[in-house]
Amino acid sequence: MLGDALAYLLDGSNWVGDQGLLPLLLQQLLITVTALAIALALGLPLALWLGHLGRGGFLAVNVSNVGRAIPTFALLALLVTASWPGTSYLGPYGRAGLATLLALAAFALPPIITNAYTAVREVAPDAKEAARGMGMSGWQQFLRVELPLAMPLIATGIRLALVQVWATATLAALVAGPGLGRIITDGFANTDYGKGIAGAVVVALVALVLELVAAAVQRMADPMRAAVRPTATVLPATS
Amino acid sequence: MKATRPLATLLAVGTVLLAAACGSDDGSTSSSGSEGGDKGKVSISGQSFPEATLVASMYEQLLDAQGYDASTTLVDTRDVYMADGQFPGSIQVVPEYVGGIVDYLNAKANGPDAASLTTNDPAASLSAAQSLFDDAGITMLDPSAATDQNAFFVTQDYADANNASTLSDLSGKSVVLAAAPDCAGRADCEKGLTDVYGITITKILPLGFASDQTYQSVLKDESQLGLTSTTDGTLADQGLVLLADDQGIQPAQNLVPAVDTSWAQDNPDAVDALNKLMAALDTEKLTELNGRVSVDREDPATVAKDFLTEAGLI
Repeated sequence: MLGDALAYLLDGSNWVGDQGLLPLLLQQLLITVTALAIALALGLPLALWLGHLGRGGFLAVNVSNVGRAIPTFALLALLVTASWPGTSYLGPYGRAGLATLLALAAFALPPIITNAYTAVREVAPDAKEAARGMGMSGWQQFLRVELPLAMPLIATGIRLALVQVWATATLAALVAGPGLGRIITDGFANTDYGKGIAGAVVVALVALVLELVAAAVQRMADPMRAAVRPTATVLPATS
Repeated sequence: MKATRPLATLLAVGTVLLAAACGSDDGSTSSSGSEGGDKGKVSISGQSFPEATLVASMYEQLLDAQGYDASTTLVDTRDVYMADGQFPGSIQVVPEYVGGIVDYLNAKANGPDAASLTTNDPAASLSAAQSLFDDAGITMLDPSAATDQNAFFVTQDYADANNASTLSDLSGKSVVLAAAPDCAGRADCEKGLTDVYGITITKILPLGFASDQTYQSVLKDESQLGLTSTTDGTLADQGLVLLADDQGIQPAQNLVPAVDTSWAQDNPDAVDALNKLMAALDTEKLTELNGRVSVDREDPATVAKDFLTEAGLI
């Protein structure tokens, strides 16, 4: 059966065409990135602000966790059945594109909000106090002290959301929507297991690639990358 | 201390209510009714569309009345209950369709491109696949006169505009087809429509067999042709009409119980009861019962019970 999957993947004609692996892969990437962007635009400013204030986070985290509690498929099915957004086509996002984007964005919110809120809130009180002592305004304290220190954890949340959304986007196939899920459902519905597994393998491999790329970006984007090493060597000596 | 006593009372009352609820439940669910149990447990599985739910419920109540302890688990696709160790194995009885199970076993044994064994004749289709059933350890009981073939529907408006009452009337037309995910390439679906009827299928939307998504897609004119069955009791109410399969691309899809061979040998009275049920059903009756479930929203178990009582089977 894995041999069938490999044969399917190695056959170039399965990668091209209207329902080929490549266009569906690109479509799913586009959906993943867009859904993530929507979730970032909605969740990040709110979570950072509440983290800076150090309160209201309980509400934000729990409201966004509703996104985790409601099965994404249930939300998608609900949106598709509703008169808006329904199954309307949305440009390159295909059938039920808007419904898919909204369901996935809701799914991406919890890790983004939880991590960003916690990251900013849990910045060492000493550092915050030092910033205030130096006469920084709240805004300066946030930009120059809290945000850089919180960056690794915020980035972890985004990375988590990215990989989760990518893998979950396959659900769209259940409403004849966009993405690689179509390869999987088609394969299994037609007793063509090689095809179904091939689709799943591609989704898993791309998830790994996204994870690695995101990890690399995260390391490069970490403003404390250079600063951490010296303190790490100093710490044992002082304690 | 003050707070604990009301709490304890609440807990006690809650427990009693819960026990009472469970007690009354036992009487109404057929799987653990008072008459069930002495001939052993029977697991029924099948696909979870309304008609299969109804027929599975008939099986369950019929077997319970025979002294078995029957329980039903319905799933989305045949692959799930036909997986190794499921049926035959931990599942003993499945409400099947002649063409459906023959094609499935044929594709599994001889590959997806194997020549079809099914024809319009249910008995001939079953005997053509006899070796497949023997290999799988499955025994097919008597097929019913009731047949649930795939059928295609359009809106009344579309039928009027194109003067269509049969699939042949759509020859040369281009349509989008809303159908089950396994439609592509099947002789009784996309391939048959294309090769036999000369209809150009521009796109297949895998929205499911007679599913709400499929009806909605056709009603919204996103697709023009939708897949359902000859026993669909909901079409008229929705302003949808069936197009006749005038060139016969649909193989026999008579209702037939598929049972675990060794279980069937040990339980001749269950086999006998299921055969009597099959003899009592026909297409017209089944369509009417389907309508009660899908249009009137009656509980499938109630509709099944009414039929079994009326037919003198329980």
